[in-house]
Amino acid sequence: MSLLPQPLPLGPRRGFAAGPALVTGATGLLAMAGLVAVGDADPLAAFILALPVAGVAAIQAFRARGEAARIKAEVAETHAEVAAGQLSLPYTAVLNALPDPVMVISAHEPDDLTGRRFVMVNLAGREVLKIQREAGLLVTAIRDPDVLEAVDEALFGGLEGEALYEPGGSQERIFRVYARPLGMGGDGGRLALLVLHDETDIRRVERMRADFLANASHELRTPLASLSGFIETLRGHARADEGAREKFLGIMHVQAERMSRLIDDLMSLSRIELNEHVPPSEDVDLVAAVMDVVDAITPLAREKGVSLEVNLPPRGSVTAVGDRDQVVQVAQNLVDNAMKYSPAGGVVRIALEDGLGIEAAMAARMDQAARLSLLTPDHGPDRFAALSVTDSGAGMAREHLPRLTERFYRVEGQKSGEKSGTGLGLAIVKHIMNRHRGGLMVESAPGRGAIFTAYFPRVEQARGRREPGNPDKSDDVAKVS
Amino acid sequence: MNEHIVKAYEDELNMLTAECARMGGLTEAAVADALEAVVRRDQQTADLVVGRDERLDVLQADIERKAIRMIALRQPLANDLRRTVAAMKIANNLERVGDLAKNIAKRTIVIIESDPMVPLTRSIERMGRLVVTRLKEVLDAYTSSDLERAMTVWSRDDEVDEHYNSLFRELLTYMMADPRTITACAHLLFVAKNLERIGDHATNIAEIIHYEITGDEAIAAERPKTDPLQR
Repeated sequence: MSLLPQPLPLGPRRGFAAGPALVTGATGLLAMAGLVAVGDADPLAAFILALPVAGVAAIQAFRARGEAARIKAEVAETHAEVAAGQLSLPYTAVLNALPDPVMVISAHEPDDLTGRRFVMVNLAGREVLKIQREAGLLVTAIRDPDVLEAVDEALFGGLEGEALYEPGGSQERIFRVYARPLGMGGDGGRLALLVLHDETDIRRVERMRADFLANASHELRTPLASLSGFIETLRGHARADEGAREKFLGIMHVQAERMSRLIDDLMSLSRIELNEHVPPSEDVDLVAAVMDVVDAITPLAREKGVSLEVNLPPRGSVTAVGDRDQVVQVAQNLVDNAMKYSPAGGVVRIALEDGLGIEAAMAARMDQAARLSLLTPDHGPDRFAALSVTDSGAGMAREHLPRLTERFYRVEGQKSGEKSGTGLGLAIVKHIMNRHRGGLMVESAPGRGAIFTAYFPRVEQARGRREPGNPDKSDDVAKVS
Repeated sequence: MNEHIVKAYEDELNMLTAECARMGGLTEAAVADALEAVVRRDQQTADLVVGRDERLDVLQADIERKAIRMIALRQPLANDLRRTVAAMKIANNLERVGDLAKNIAKRTIVIIESDPMVPLTRSIERMGRLVVTRLKEVLDAYTSSDLERAMTVWSRDDEVDEHYNSLFRELLTYMMADPRTITACAHLLFVAKNLERIGDHATNIAEIIHYEITGDEAIAAERPKTDPLQR
């Protein structure tokens, strides 16, 4: 005899064909959940109340191939069935079409904490929680103790619970989890519903505001203090001194420019951070993007006496899924940095390698040097295109490497020339690369310069991947029909 | 009847893995909360972490007892034996991680008494996040029996070490610049060391997963290591 309850016959593969058992089960689920939800206007209630509407919409999409008249008749029929209480909506399709992860959990013994099982997960849920099976032990999908506690309260206390849940991964995401009791299931076990609502955006906006204020107020203070100092001097004893005035105005101009660059960079960093969990969708010709940057920097390099060694494949041969402006910004920031730290007579090398596996993309490009991954993409079988920029500057000791992408971090004793940077360049690069699901490596040794390598997922692979919260609907409709 | 017995046996094995996963969840939360307590200077969270450590000890003992019972009664062989032993070993590692998290939380009280040191806290936070991610990755690999994923964690242990060494230098600079910070910095140094050891436990767990899936134990000697004392 089995110690564990058999999973309920729910799941997209069995879908509609599971027949009356599924329909009554789902009806019960819906009715119970509806009862629980009525009376408080939380997102779950909204979601549950919206289910029948979504169902009709799904039916429409589902039968889009038929003639309009027939669809109309069928929808009218469905309405009638809904009204008559003989529900026969494609619940599996409805649940799978929902952007929010939804899970049904079943349990028998209150003391058997590990024995909670999920008996139904929709597509979004499988995507976010990275589960392949349709049913299994709950702890193999979610381990978070707060969530498990909320589930227990819903199962055995009959209480509605909430918890925050972070699924982990390079792109931070945060969900609010709602647990709702569903009463007894058909096999004598208790059921609970778990809905995950994505709150990443709200949290990001909150944090961005706080970070922006903290950074801006701190970093803008120095140039501002220097500006007001010069204004005071100009109003006082330097008022009549023509030479001093010109000199001070020159310095003030530089400081004001620095402030405006700083604000620009802070703004663009904030913008990138807000969208970090939303992957870009356009195709970008990486070679063309890098070429544009090289063309723009060439006059400056000639002026400074730095030679550029560019090694790129032909235009149009390397395409990544990306945001063109952001890809250009990555190349721009890396090349700018290399230029800044290379002395006159030095060389800056720019190279693009294509079709690398993750290990090759992260491999050492400089012998006997300290090497650190500043950003590593989540586990995946992708191929990458790697842009590496090598400078011939003073290089850095290995203890500086972990802090390079920290905002406003400066390696001590390094002069970046008269046009000093904002200290945000590499932070921006890191966030852009993270949004692109790419990675960033640094290698350096004192006296031998540094190599920065940014690698982007290649177009073919990145395409096929579905993102959480945006499940491919055509796919699951096909599965049900 | 035979079929049922086999089924129960398989269930028991699955339960053992699930039990470890649940313990892993508690451990992850303990480390994340301890880090949060240090970074946000939050005594309440720190107390919570210290108070919850007992649950981990109980769970570890429980898993060990179940695994021993399993070996005694069912006499698992090959794959099943490795799964049982792996669960026991992983529970041990997790229990140690829990102790280290508790130790970090305990130091919060002294760290809060000193003035905030923003750049240092940022470095601790960055290192801590990295370690929390490692732990999460390796436990994900365990619950999904994903060898490749476990090996990714295993091969990247040196990143945590780099962060630790960098933080070590940073702390020295602070202490030399202002001796009044020595007390807090010394505690932060231990926090960093504890985080580094939690990273090592994550690597250990990756090795156990490797053993569980492949049966090969030789991997431990091959790990890439950067030794800060021999540079």
